[in-house]
Amino acid sequence: MLLKDLLVGRRDRWQPIIREFERALGKASVIRRRDELLTYECDGLAAYRQRPALVVLPRTTEEVAAAVRLCDQHDLPWVARGAGTGLSGGALPVEDGVLIVTAKMKRILHVDCENQRLVVQPGVINNWVTQAVSDRGFYYAPDPSSQSVCSIGGNVAENSGGVHCLKYGVTTNHVLGLKVVTPDGTVVELGGAVPEQPGYDLPGLFVGSEGTLGIATEITLRILKTPEAICVLLADFPDIEAAGNAVMATIAAGIVPAGMEIMDNLSINAVEDIVATGCYPRDAGAILLVELDGIAIEVTENIAKVAAICRQNGSREITTATDAETRLKLWKGRKAAFAAAGHLSPDYFVQDGVVPRTQLARVLREIEALSERSGFRIANVFHAGDGNLHPLILYNGSVPGEFAQVEAVGGEILRLCVEAGGSISGEHGIGADKNCYMPQMFSATDLETMQYVRAAFNPKGLANPGKLFPTPRTCGEAANAQKSAQFKGVALF
Amino acid sequence: MNAIATSLRDRLGNEAEVVPPEQLDATWQSSLQAALAPGEPLPTLVLPQTEAGLAAAIALAHAQQWPMLLSGNGSKLSWGAPARGIQLLLSTQRLNQLLDHAVGDLTVTAAAGLKLADLQAILQPTGQFLPLDPAYPADATLGGIVATADAGSWRQRYGSPRDLLLGLSFVRADGAIAKAGGRVVKNVAGYDLMKLFTGSYGSLGAITQLTFRTYPLPAAATTALASGPPEAIAAARTALLQSALTPTRIDLLSVSLAQALTEQAQPGLLVRYQSSPASVAEQVQRLRQLTEPLGLSFHTYTAEAETEVWSRLQARVRGTQPAAGDGAIRCKIGLLPSAAIAFLNDLTTLASQPSVGQIHASSGVGYLSLPAETEAAVITKLRRTCEAQQGYLTLLEAPPALKQPLDPWGYTGNAIAVMRQLKHQFDPQNLLSPGRCVGGI
Repeated sequence: MLLKDLLVGRRDRWQPIIREFERALGKASVIRRRDELLTYECDGLAAYRQRPALVVLPRTTEEVAAAVRLCDQHDLPWVARGAGTGLSGGALPVEDGVLIVTAKMKRILHVDCENQRLVVQPGVINNWVTQAVSDRGFYYAPDPSSQSVCSIGGNVAENSGGVHCLKYGVTTNHVLGLKVVTPDGTVVELGGAVPEQPGYDLPGLFVGSEGTLGIATEITLRILKTPEAICVLLADFPDIEAAGNAVMATIAAGIVPAGMEIMDNLSINAVEDIVATGCYPRDAGAILLVELDGIAIEVTENIAKVAAICRQNGSREITTATDAETRLKLWKGRKAAFAAAGHLSPDYFVQDGVVPRTQLARVLREIEALSERSGFRIANVFHAGDGNLHPLILYNGSVPGEFAQVEAVGGEILRLCVEAGGSISGEHGIGADKNCYMPQMFSATDLETMQYVRAAFNPKGLANPGKLFPTPRTCGEAANAQKSAQFKGVALF
Repeated sequence: MNAIATSLRDRLGNEAEVVPPEQLDATWQSSLQAALAPGEPLPTLVLPQTEAGLAAAIALAHAQQWPMLLSGNGSKLSWGAPARGIQLLLSTQRLNQLLDHAVGDLTVTAAAGLKLADLQAILQPTGQFLPLDPAYPADATLGGIVATADAGSWRQRYGSPRDLLLGLSFVRADGAIAKAGGRVVKNVAGYDLMKLFTGSYGSLGAITQLTFRTYPLPAAATTALASGPPEAIAAARTALLQSALTPTRIDLLSVSLAQALTEQAQPGLLVRYQSSPASVAEQVQRLRQLTEPLGLSFHTYTAEAETEVWSRLQARVRGTQPAAGDGAIRCKIGLLPSAAIAFLNDLTTLASQPSVGQIHASSGVGYLSLPAETEAAVITKLRRTCEAQQGYLTLLEAPPALKQPLDPWGYTGNAIAVMRQLKHQFDPQNLLSPGRCVGGI
């Protein structure tokens, strides 16, 4: 058969299906034109691209359920997508599959400050939640760097963290309940308005499941009281190791800051080139940003202790700020770090790995050695308090073969993290990016056991196939190491 | 000795002690009698010395199709629905080693049978602790605490076991050993089986190792009790939660419970501050300023008096004697916190005395202790009240005559089918603690 005939046959097969989606959701919510589909062919991990056959934009739980049921009836693989800012390819479409986008589900459904919780649709943007309750003195704690554009549904799928998760935890610690459409199109309530419902902790299992167990259509979030005092401390250090020691000493002193961030010299100069904060000394080996919050007296006491610790560890200059404007100024460079890396080099690759805090200095030295060996510059910006590294590998994507080399360097960094007793992802997720690395952390039995969960929710394997776990098609040998469950009844078109 | 005990001894050798039913000591007997449906024969007890021994015992039970109950010290074995047809009781009591305390990382890894009290004693000299305050703190093992998702008032600041658990290993129904999570405080690789196992009551696998996040021990602590009329307590609760104060515990106490502490027949608001001495002193003062205009009486406790208040409260609500106990009916409840004061009032009028209730003011999770003779109709009424406030009432400890007609779990959601699917995947032959968990799982 000629390729042309194959394509025509494929199109013919989709025509009646598309009409069914249009009947269920309305024509305006179904996108099928090739040029319009382009927008959806990748998420924040732009190196991987795949055009979906169809994009649907439901508005309600019922419409999501209708779309998922159609996928189930026709054995169509599907992927859920929020704002598309994810960095692990979790929302990467599947060839000849459906992409269910929550962009039209942007309503805050219920606000209950008396009980410190609210209910949102999945397309609601992260920082809208805080905006909705800040005038009453509350806020939503998880704050990924992309919080002005990323969606709560995506945060739930990836169990997103942020700079304040050292003290306040990540998304899973703030989700009380979820309304979920499971891959057979059933609507179920996991958890609810009150925590610790009888039975299995299904919200806990669902958060971070990367779209493989279903799609959340309503999310009940816990909100916190805004602290009365916030202080940001900026300290410079001769090298990263000294900054890391200050972090260790702070923790050992019994202080739990809201966040602790380190940037290395390369990152400092990159952000000063671009945003010119004027706060980060260009000649410093590293800077440390510490944010403390809580009762004013406590913040005052602790900031003095942290400042003393920084000085003991070789800090030359310490700046503190309590007013919102100066605090924002101190944070500005950190927030712009990824964007600034984009100006250092034509392309950059963000890695996300975790090491025990006590191993930070050693692993960073090894990353530096790796940079020298490979010839790629690596900028380090990371959540030092919880050992979550974000090395930025700088490269030029137009040089043939360079991306593959960079991926190998990224893989080497993950290996270092696992060897140090850490994890291959702290907050970006596994998705399509790291599924082949899962066997480094988990045995074949571990992975087989995790597949029990997937099989319980997603027996046909239609929800986000090929993500999270190694597959023989994408990972070759790595995947063969485990007996991956065979999904029944999935059509291959 | 029965055939099961004999074949276990043959298979396990020195890996485990095997105790046939007729040789069970009084403690295990009473734990089991409270856990099994009336008239059920006692099972054989297996006490593995190693994780491998536990795995071998489960593999044998799997091959022989012996239904098993999984346990730590057995202090909460009576929680959940009464078990039937149990051939084996597996206890992790002897798997009690500390495996790794990464002091600088504030993480600790231990075998599931280590008692919380023993772990705290190990952590204390390093200035750290695991902020969990579950029932039966002297007996409770780490594995048992996680399997029952049990926690107390520290939820206010530190969350419950689900929020503190970073990784776990477990023996599956087929005897294979699997793990999830890790030993770092931030990790999103793979499904969060830690959350799935938290509160699974031994129905999915036998937990063998756990990694928790620890916290620095605060330098100072003071507890304050405000008591007065219900409307004033409700107003104080709202004012406190609207304030920027950062207590580690905030509990609403029923009249009878507050009375046990103050001798005053009025509900109470019990608040604990733990931080630096200056911060604690200031926060207590600010709480006083907040409650006094509402006409509440105010009392503070420090040092031993503070420890004593909390342990008296714990003993009164959650009991001191596992299993055999004082015959009281003990329930876990949840409801919208805004309805908590009204609920505690209802408790005083509805249930016969001495009924006591404690509700964590932010989460709406709480505990009740009711007299043994409380009628099913009263419990049903209390349950409906919780459910009307989007909550639940679960009977933890109650005579079988009550658990039978009432459904101890009281789950009202629509996700039972999903839970059954999970159970079926993890334990297709239904051998692990069959029938004990929600919905007969």
